[in-house]
Order: sequence, then C-alpha cells, then structure tokens
Amino acid sequence: MKKTIRDTTVADRLLFVLLIAAAVAGLFISREAMSQSNDVIVEINGSPAYTFPLTTDRTFTVQGALWETVIEIKGRKVRIKEAHCPNRICVREGWVSKGAIICLPNRVVVVVGGTGRSGKDIDAVTG
Amino acid sequence: MNFRTTYSAFLAVLGLCLISSCFMHREATYKKTKELMDTFVTVTVVSDSAEKGNEAIEKAFATIGKFGALVNFFSDESEVSNINRNAGVMPVKVSPETLEVIDKAVFVAAKSGGAFDPTIGPVMKLWDFHNNIKASADDIKKGLRLVDYRNIIIDREKSTVFLRHKGMMLDPGGIAKGYAADLAVKTLKEQGIRAGVVAAAGDIRTFGARPDGKPWNIGIKNPRPVKGSTNDILAVIGLGDKAISTSGDYERFFIEDGQRYHHILDPKTGYPAGGCRSVTIITGRGVFTDAFSTAVFVLGPEKGLKLAQDEEMEALIVDVNGKIFMTPGLKEKLKFEKND
Repeated sequence: MKKTIRDTTVADRLLFVLLIAAAVAGLFISREAMSQSNDVIVEINGSPAYTFPLTTDRTFTVQGALWETVIEIKGRKVRIKEAHCPNRICVREGWVSKGAIICLPNRVVVVVGGTGRSGKDIDAVTG
Repeated sequence: MNFRTTYSAFLAVLGLCLISSCFMHREATYKKTKELMDTFVTVTVVSDSAEKGNEAIEKAFATIGKFGALVNFFSDESEVSNINRNAGVMPVKVSPETLEVIDKAVFVAAKSGGAFDPTIGPVMKLWDFHNNIKASADDIKKGLRLVDYRNIIIDREKSTVFLRHKGMMLDPGGIAKGYAADLAVKTLKEQGIRAGVVAAAGDIRTFGARPDGKPWNIGIKNPRPVKGSTNDILAVIGLGDKAISTSGDYERFFIEDGQRYHHILDPKTGYPAGGCRSVTIITGRGVFTDAFSTAVFVLGPEKGLKLAQDEEMEALIVDVNGKIFMTPGLKEKLKFEKND
C-alpha cells in the first residue's frame, strides 16, 4: 500500500485531488439544479402566469379562462382545492408533489417540479 | 521530466479552472411571487447564492408593499385617500414617492392632452365591470365635471398635493404599479443584484441579462387568443434595461348587446375608449410605460402611435379590428408567435 502511494507521480496525485474536487463540485451543482425545480408554476391559457415556491404553504386564487380556481400548496404538495367546472377532475386529482394538474375547461395548468408544460422560454408576460 | 512538469502544470491549471468555474460563477435565477397592490408581483433575480437572491427579493417585496400602502386608493389609511378626503379643503403633505408618482401622472396627462387622467376616479366609480353595471349618461356627465388633471396642485418645496375641487378623486391605479416596479429594481440594485425582472402584473421592469447571457424574454399577450389554442402570446421580445406595460380591453370588461364595455375609460367622454384592443409600450421606466400605455390606448392607433414616437418610446398597438400598428424600431425586435 505504502509502495503504491510512493510510486505515484505528482501528476497522479494532482489527478486524484482533481477528481475529488470534481465530485464535490458535482454535489453543489446538482443541489443548485434541484433548487430550481422547487417551484409551483401556474400556467393560464398556455403561458406561465405565476410562480410560487413549493416550500411555502399558501392558498391562493387565480383567474382562469372561465372562472376562478383555488390552488393550495401545503407540505411541499399542491392541489386544486376549488374549481367550478362540472366534472371537477382537477380537484379529484388531489395532492401532487411532481407532475401537473390540468384543468382543461378553465385552461389552468399547475406544474410542480418541472419546467412547465408549454416549455416556452418566456421570463414574464405583459398584458 | 520536462513532460511530467508540463503535464502537472496543465492538470493544476485545469483543476483550478474547474473549481473556480464551479464555485465562483454559479449564477442562477431565483423567482418568487407575492400578492401586493391587489395583484401578483413576481420578482426574478440572477444571483450566485440562493440566500442572497431570496433576501434581495424579499427586500424588493417590502419596497413595493410600503409604496403600495401609501398610494392605495381603497384604504382609508393611505396618503392618496388623505388627499381625496381633503379635496377642495387643503393641501396634504405626502412622502417623496407619492409626490413623484403624482407628479409623473400629471406629466403624462399633460403630454397626452388628458387622454390619461389620474382624476378619472369620480367617473370610474360609476362603472361596475364585475357586476356588469353600466354608468348612466346623467351620472357620467356630472362626474366628468370633476375630471381634470390640471386641478391637481403640486407643491414640490412643501411636498404637498391639493385637489382644487371638492369631490375630486385622485386614483394612481394607472401608474402606481409601473412606478412600484421601478422602485423594486432600485432596491434590487442596492442589494448588489446585477440582473432581474420585476413584474407587477403586466407592468414589467427588466435589467441586466439572464445567466445564459441572453436578454429577458417577455411575452406580450394576444388580446383575442384563437379559440381552442393553448397559446395566448402574440409576440415575444428580448429586453435588457427596459420597462414594458400593456393596457388591454380584455382585463376587466363585460359584453352587453354585442358591445364590449371595458375598464379603460376616455376621460373626455367617460365611456370606454373605442380605438384599440391592446397597447404595449416599451421605454426606460415603468412609471412611463404604465401610464402611456393607457394614454395611447385612449388616443387610438394613429394619434397614439404619434405620441409614442414623439416621446421616443416603442409601441405595439392592436386596433379594434385586430390590425397591428408599431413603431419602426420594434419591427426587428418582435418575434410574432404562430397562433393556431
């Protein structure tokens, strides 16, 4: 074992240090990347309207295409609490921690842990 | 030996580059939304740490909240309510922010010949767009007598505002959100943030660039999205240090006998302005985009476009028939969406 260490060149040792550094850096990078998906994105009519952190519990109302939809964030999960659509499919979906809840008639999409259904590269919307 | 030294040096440099690129320039965007000024305000910042980014966002929210409380038309506690209560009685001392937003409102009113008028309050309150109630012609006629921005008396030295006639009502609703976005950007810069977006509903301020080096992509809503389409964006524009606002006839409205009644009233007639579906204005400050988008909407496409050009602003106008007008500078910057 001692011989193995003694046999290493400076370059070998540098490479070793480098690999450790890369591994540590990787940890940080992935953690930062993860933090980006901790958002609840509410899309109305296909474009992102609101972004809320998944980590803060709250209940709020958004105006969809036809009526208001009440969305609740609690314990890092999201649900549509109230909607006025006839089937209330979105409400029946219950709590979601990853994926999307879609209310088709009201054109409201709630996305958790992703980049959004429409995938458009838009930072904000005016109008 | 020589090779080994070179190889070692190469590895060392490579390692340093890797480590520094990982730890020094890990810029990311951080985004939060909060309910402020009766709307949702979203602040996005570019920062190398989540802690720093989020702290700056909270400070920006605090700035908007504080300003919102000063100019809240519906709260008895606000400075604006105090001005309205003392209309025709006496001048009211206000904070520098309130004074500036009212000063700018009067400036835009004058530039637009009263097409934007922050004293529209007495007529606005006659309409109820939530419960589909039209104002009566008689009431509008009476209300219009109290609408005239020239009766707002500002004393900059004493920091006071006075409404000349009893019953006058100052409503900074058409300019306050844009100004709030300006204030929030100032706060973010003071916190050392180099780039970000403040969106107070449709009044947006951008500064700096995104972490990928590109300008911020701002979508402009289509005032009449195609039925069944999932896309309600008319066009997208990349912005650096700019402000953008849109006024549209689709925000608050009702339709009666085939006629659309919306919330953008012409201060001359007291009825909804008829020339446009939506107007988007781009210039350096939110306080101007917010108020001028209303002014241009009321003036209609031809006169409105001229006003925008005279004031060196960019404008995108969708007229009442869906025809698009824009300032020459915008043609190359806008990317129109396929709407199907």
